Amino acid sequence: MKEHENLRVKPIQWHSEPDDDLIICRCEEITKGEIRKAVCDGMVTIKEIRRYLRTGMGLCQGQTCGKLVKGIVAKELGVKPDDLEPATGRAPVRPVEMQVLGKESEE
Amino acid sequence: MKRYDMIIVGAGPAGLSAAVEAAKHGMCVAVFDENAKPGGQLFKQIHKFFGSKEHQAKVRGFRIGEALLKQANELGVEVLLNAVVTGIYADKEVIVRHNDTVRHVKGDTILVATGASENMIAFPGWTLPGVMGAGAAQTMINLHGVLPGKRVLMVGSGNVGLVVSYQLMQCGCELVGIVDVAKKIGGYGVHAAKIARCGVPFYMGHTIVRAEGTDHVTGVVIGEVDEAYQCISGTEKQLDVDTVCIAVGLSPMSQLLDMAGCQMQTVSAKGGTVPVCNADGETSVEGLYVAGDVSGIEEASSAMIEGRIAAISAARKLGYLGEAPASEEISKLQASLEALRQGMFAPGNRGKIIEQTEEGIRISNSLLTKGYLEEQEIERFPGFHTQKGIHPVIECTQNIPCNPCQDVCPRHCIMVGDNITALPVVDENSACSGCGLCVASCSGQAIFLVNDSYDQTHASVTIPYEFLPLPAVGTIGVALDRSGNPVCEAEVLSVKANPAFDKTNLLTMKVPKEMSQKARFFAVKSSEQKG
Amino acid sequence: MLRIENHPILGEIQKGRLVRFTFDGKELTGYEGEPIAAALKAAGVMVHRYTTKRHEPRGVFCAIGRCTDCVMCVNGKINVRTCVTPLEEGMDVRTQYGVSRQKPE
Repeated sequence: MKEHENLRVKPIQWHSEPDDDLIICRCEEITKGEIRKAVCDGMVTIKEIRRYLRTGMGLCQGQTCGKLVKGIVAKELGVKPDDLEPATGRAPVRPVEMQVLGKESEE
Repeated sequence: MKRYDMIIVGAGPAGLSAAVEAAKHGMCVAVFDENAKPGGQLFKQIHKFFGSKEHQAKVRGFRIGEALLKQANELGVEVLLNAVVTGIYADKEVIVRHNDTVRHVKGDTILVATGASENMIAFPGWTLPGVMGAGAAQTMINLHGVLPGKRVLMVGSGNVGLVVSYQLMQCGCELVGIVDVAKKIGGYGVHAAKIARCGVPFYMGHTIVRAEGTDHVTGVVIGEVDEAYQCISGTEKQLDVDTVCIAVGLSPMSQLLDMAGCQMQTVSAKGGTVPVCNADGETSVEGLYVAGDVSGIEEASSAMIEGRIAAISAARKLGYLGEAPASEEISKLQASLEALRQGMFAPGNRGKIIEQTEEGIRISNSLLTKGYLEEQEIERFPGFHTQKGIHPVIECTQNIPCNPCQDVCPRHCIMVGDNITALPVVDENSACSGCGLCVASCSGQAIFLVNDSYDQTHASVTIPYEFLPLPAVGTIGVALDRSGNPVCEAEVLSVKANPAFDKTNLLTMKVPKEMSQKARFFAVKSSEQKG
Repeated sequence: MLRIENHPILGEIQKGRLVRFTFDGKELTGYEGEPIAAALKAAGVMVHRYTTKRHEPRGVFCAIGRCTDCVMCVNGKINVRTCVTPLEEGMDVRTQYGVSRQKPE
């Protein structure tokens, strides 16, 4: 997305906010401040934030925090949440133990 | 690898309806659902649905679910439960985790009907036990028979928030209030009204500041918000609750479709990221369909129709159904779906402020901000009129697609007309027999029977009553007005529980004549009330 | 009492057999087949686990197996979603600490 590439060159100055300590990603216990900081560090897509912080990569796979993270990142970048591309859907969409993943049945 | 004509992901209202339809046309179908029981969220919907006869209006959600399952069983549709679809790949290959193995299957067509997930808001204390999704509370009470807590604050005034609030009260929870940052109630006015008349306050333009407690919720602080939705200092209010329910919307669970390579789009009116699809629900990947909330947040009633459309379209594609009969069926279903998408709560109207009804009548501002109609406002709506003897008073003041009141009245006193979103009109010279079928059939519980000449000095008012215990005939209690304020003493004249009413009991109370247009709920005297 | 005895719409809630199980070693009862979380809730248990980083309490949040907030250590296995796992007689249900069954020192 071109728009994001433009955002990337616009540096965002870090400043703290009173609710930075608020948990956003419940599974991985990532705070609002950490997400805001990641944007200042140059992470401008949900995918990048996810790789950088592990938001949405816990047991629930972003089911709960997806929209919240998007809202925070969008606000930080000064864009509309709907303009941000959501994180890519990847298999497995639900947590599966490695031992089960390794047991493929032939039918 | 096993092949199916259609693989359906999700056995909720959309998926099951599609399975039934596909099986009818002789297709070989596999339905996978990650849950231990089929039905999706239908079985926890214990309220009566809106719509018209063809949409199964006035039938409670869980009964629709039971009927759907029965139909599926009769047609030999197999639903594989505890079967988690973890991925969809090229050439419609589906990966399913079942018990401790992973299977690969192929579908000539696929229907993804995975539904939605609940949105959340973050506030200090939102991770404390006792804060939960409204859907979670609804699951606890209606599926497992356990209360989430005793004193509940609901965050969100959309239909989910309103419906779950009422259901919590029905099973004995005390609803401390409903909070919403919006200035106006988001859900149906009739849903709000049935909560307001029990005395529950609506805190519109308020936010939840924090939930308090160390190991679980022991209280909550709310406050009024400014234009930027920030709490205005000094407006904070502490409420004594043990449970906070969050009902701030739903998001389509569309990750599988993104993975399958469907073209996706983010549309606020649909609730989030959804696949681009045609009128049959077919996505940009040929033969891959969507139906229900995953394609845009709507009601279970529309999900069921969408499921059937997708299945018929797939049957046509695979040659199980000819072009002409398929097209005919699909147009019929699309017309039915269109009817549900009318009115002021139609998906296209989301976020719009509507000041007038289709009839040109000013909407009650009180209903939108406090949850109830002011007495003097009722008169401008066509469901209100006065006449000698018993007659219905219909407090239905918003255009929603619903018409059972018209269908059930054996004397044809109530008119909605062909446009099912029109406000019901009570015939000026109605020959009302006082049977009460309209009262029980109204999914919004907005119909009352009033008899101003019960005796010289008293009127009788019949209200829908879905609470336990049912008060005994002769009980002296208090009548509450639309805002839940006690207005006078009331004596229970009768409590009717006819099977045709389907658990919406008709409670008739005797009140002083001048109270006939005020008294809209009954409560036992507060000294006898528990707590 | 958090159990609904008689529901105005659903009537009497159908339940399985009353069985015993333990929560952190303490004996409780619940109905066979109901989610472990329902039995715990009815017994007044609110905290299912403490988180890894902040050691904060969590309980039932979505109740349909999606959010995984309610996971506990059940019969020695961690990360069991108690809101969708049916209760069985004699189950050993324990508070989970982070991703461990051991309470940190």
